[in-house]
Amino acid sequence: MKKYQLGEFEEVVMLTVGVLYDNAYGVSIKKEIEERLSRSVSVGALQTALRRLEDKGYLKSRDGEATEERAGRPKKYFQITALGKRAMEYIKSTREELWNAIPKVALNVKFTSL
Amino acid sequence: METRKVRPPKVFLRFFRWYCHPKLRDSIEGDLMELYYERVAGSGKRKADLKFFTDIVLLCRPGIIGIENEKNLTNHYAMFRNHLKIGWRNLLRQRMYSLVKIGGFALGIAACLLIMLFIREELRYDTHYKESDRIFRVVVAYNFNGESGKEVWFQAPFARALKEDYQDIEKAGRYNSSELFGAGSAQIRRADHLDNTYEEGFVYADQELLEILQTPMVYGSLAHCLDAPKTIVITKRKADKYFPHENPVGKLMVVNDNDKEPFRIGGVIENLPATSHIQFDFFMTMTGVEFWKGEQTDWDATNYPTYVQLRKGADKFQLEKKMAGIVRKYLLPVWIKNGVPSAEELAKSGWFILQPVKDIYLRSEGIADPVSHGDIRFIWLFGAIAGFILIIACINFINLSTAKSANRAKEVGLRKTVGSYRTNIIAQFLTESLLFSVISFGLGLLLAELLLPYFNTLAAKSLSIPWREWWFIPLLGVSSVATGILAGIYPSFYLSSFKPIQVLKGNLSRGSKNSATRSSLVVFQFTTSIVLIIATAVIYKQLDYILNTKVGFDKDQVLVIRGTNTLGGHVKTFKEELLQLSSVKSATVSDYLPIKGTKRNGNGFWNEGKDNVDHSLSVQIWRVDHDYIGTMGMKIIEGRNFSLDKPSDSSAIIINRTMARRLGLTDPIGKRVQNNQVFNVIGVVEDFNFESLRNDVGPLCFVLGNSPGIVSVKLNAQSLTTALPAIESIWRKIAPHQPIRYSFLDESFARMYDDVKRMGRIFTSFAVLAIIVACLGLFALSSFMVEQRGKEISIRLVLGASLQNIFSILTLNFLKLIFVSLILAGPIAWYMMNQWLLDFKYRTQITWNLFAITGLLSVAIALLTISYQSIKAALAKPVKNLRSE
Repeated sequence: MKKYQLGEFEEVVMLTVGVLYDNAYGVSIKKEIEERLSRSVSVGALQTALRRLEDKGYLKSRDGEATEERAGRPKKYFQITALGKRAMEYIKSTREELWNAIPKVALNVKFTSL
Repeated sequence: METRKVRPPKVFLRFFRWYCHPKLRDSIEGDLMELYYERVAGSGKRKADLKFFTDIVLLCRPGIIGIENEKNLTNHYAMFRNHLKIGWRNLLRQRMYSLVKIGGFALGIAACLLIMLFIREELRYDTHYKESDRIFRVVVAYNFNGESGKEVWFQAPFARALKEDYQDIEKAGRYNSSELFGAGSAQIRRADHLDNTYEEGFVYADQELLEILQTPMVYGSLAHCLDAPKTIVITKRKADKYFPHENPVGKLMVVNDNDKEPFRIGGVIENLPATSHIQFDFFMTMTGVEFWKGEQTDWDATNYPTYVQLRKGADKFQLEKKMAGIVRKYLLPVWIKNGVPSAEELAKSGWFILQPVKDIYLRSEGIADPVSHGDIRFIWLFGAIAGFILIIACINFINLSTAKSANRAKEVGLRKTVGSYRTNIIAQFLTESLLFSVISFGLGLLLAELLLPYFNTLAAKSLSIPWREWWFIPLLGVSSVATGILAGIYPSFYLSSFKPIQVLKGNLSRGSKNSATRSSLVVFQFTTSIVLIIATAVIYKQLDYILNTKVGFDKDQVLVIRGTNTLGGHVKTFKEELLQLSSVKSATVSDYLPIKGTKRNGNGFWNEGKDNVDHSLSVQIWRVDHDYIGTMGMKIIEGRNFSLDKPSDSSAIIINRTMARRLGLTDPIGKRVQNNQVFNVIGVVEDFNFESLRNDVGPLCFVLGNSPGIVSVKLNAQSLTTALPAIESIWRKIAPHQPIRYSFLDESFARMYDDVKRMGRIFTSFAVLAIIVACLGLFALSSFMVEQRGKEISIRLVLGASLQNIFSILTLNFLKLIFVSLILAGPIAWYMMNQWLLDFKYRTQITWNLFAITGLLSVAIALLTISYQSIKAALAKPVKNLRSE
């Protein structure tokens, strides 16, 4: 885990950026997470996470067009970098390894106890 | 879109823009606006505003905050270190100049510090009372028929009347320090010891006076230490002297050998702080004391300085007005009974003032009182001197920095070329001057600590550097920074103004440029120094004048033996035995002497039978014996001296010239004058100065009487050394348990002008200091000039200039400046010292030769300072300077 630091919320943000692909900017990411995971996300929390991911090099950003509903402010689009992709894959694989390592019995106990 | 018209509150947005990192600002703001418009459309403006605000608050976190501040973008520490390093190297490279800069600064700072300590002490007088804003001294002011004045002595029942009649007055206490009644000095001993010791600082006081002053107690209780008859309260240092390591409360002490009525010690108080205007060591109770029958209810005699403590919230001004009632209620009836003419008007002519205790020491101008004072004018004066010395030191710094600027010009040019702003250069030179200032402050502090003992004797103070006070070190820090900036601001602006192209091409006229500024600064330095020198000279001249002026009596070779009243009936014997000695010319017994610290009084006098017609003339009535006038060498200008052959002389009186004039007696001999008794005028004595020479001679008269406190002995000039042991042995024979105490009249007289002498010494020190600092600067400047003109001088020498030529070329410029300073300093000093001399009724003249001597002196000093460098330059081998190119 030392290799790729990624918190839970950060992981969610990364995944959402991936889902939105070409349309990942502040508001769209926020809405996507809120919709899919039905949890509320504050602008502040999201922006700090985005900054952190950018600093770590998992995301990169480019300035987009300025629209009227944004009072002339440009959108900042995010995109997953190669490093980001590797981090996500790494996390996914470690999770899977953990899943696979769970003995079947351990999961079955639950059902029997029901 | 209609939502276009809706906007989030501007304050929120401005707040966001203020804290947000500039790089993120636009995109996040875009997000916020997008969300905002959606929310306005969805749930209305109010909710959208609220959410907008919460978003902004929640955004306020470390990853996003980045307040715009260019200083954050560059690191100044490295540059600062570079400035310090360069500054330090420069300091080391030019040792002589650095020494002058730092040494001058340190001297100035030391002087400043000492003066500040002095001023602080003076301003701290009487601030130690817990509730000093409720403590007042009562002052009476009057203005009657053109005679006006203020004084602090009141009648014995005055204090009690105040307390009874005015609710606002919580406490009222008095003291009586008059030698007439036995206060002042006395012989004292423990009741169980035999040997007396002479002590000063005796006073009669009320219990309530101590309560008003809130004297901290060592032993006993403040509430009851002085309220019983025949009690005495002593200070801790006296308790330690007579009763070491024990609690003396309840012990007995005998004053003036009166062992039938010893004093019981009622309490021991802490030593009164040096900053208290009241300085006594032995407080004898007033309870049960009456100096004559009915004295304590007598509304005639005024002997008591009176203090009051007001109740909380009492209005001082209202009270002052109401207090006029005292005069109508108590004084007017007495005056009318005594037949004082126009008593009603007299009653209206006076008013009372409540003087805050804090003001007594410094702000008592025009008030006659028995307290020693500081002078607020001197505080200002000393403060100004301190400031000027510091400014002189700063000027050295400025002059040398700008003069040596040529050496730094290339550095400035280079720094600018590689991208320094002017502000950076200014910062650099300010850092350097700060470096100098901090070093100088350290040295100055050290110097002040070393000079403090000397200064303490100079100013008759016991000051110490307040290291422990919390504000002292920070204050030093702040002042060193302030001084550094003050001294560095001009050089740094000057140096930073160089244009890179010019200085790098080498076109800068080397340092001679702004010599006008430099010259005027030198003129300022020397003007200040010369003013100080002239002031010192005038003070000493006045002192000399006082000590040598004709005072109307012969003060040489007169031995004054004090405390002879303790000999009791043996005073006569003592005098007679003294007269047996061959070395004694004459001797007289009288407590009244024309020097400070001996008895004084004031009595109303009239021409006979005019006591209900004229106003009384306040006259000193001195009780003397037949030999007084002869021993004192006074001159009788009319009539005769008292004579032993004429018993009728017991009602004879000798008046002084002023008294004769004031009573309007053109032919006074045989006239009769009266106070409570009628006297025949048998002689008129020439006026002599019995008070300070600051004042005119007042009316005075001699009558025969017994006042056995002091025996004055006129000695033969040759036999001084043999006389003293002989006199001592006579004393020991009569009073074996008492130390003899004597002084010489001329010394006591000179001591009256100790303050003048002290001021003279203080001025001398500061004048010397100022001139040293100024000369340091001049020395450095002249050596700089020589350095600059080295080649020129060498060429002149090669071409045949003589040593004199070179010398005059180099010194003339500076001498011109000194002359200008002289011309400026003359009038300033003259005006200042004339003001000072106005204090004295008898004063010396400020003559032109004073200025001439001072002028010569300062020119000589300056010339001496410059000539070292000039001669060195003129004697140098030309080859040395010319060879290198």
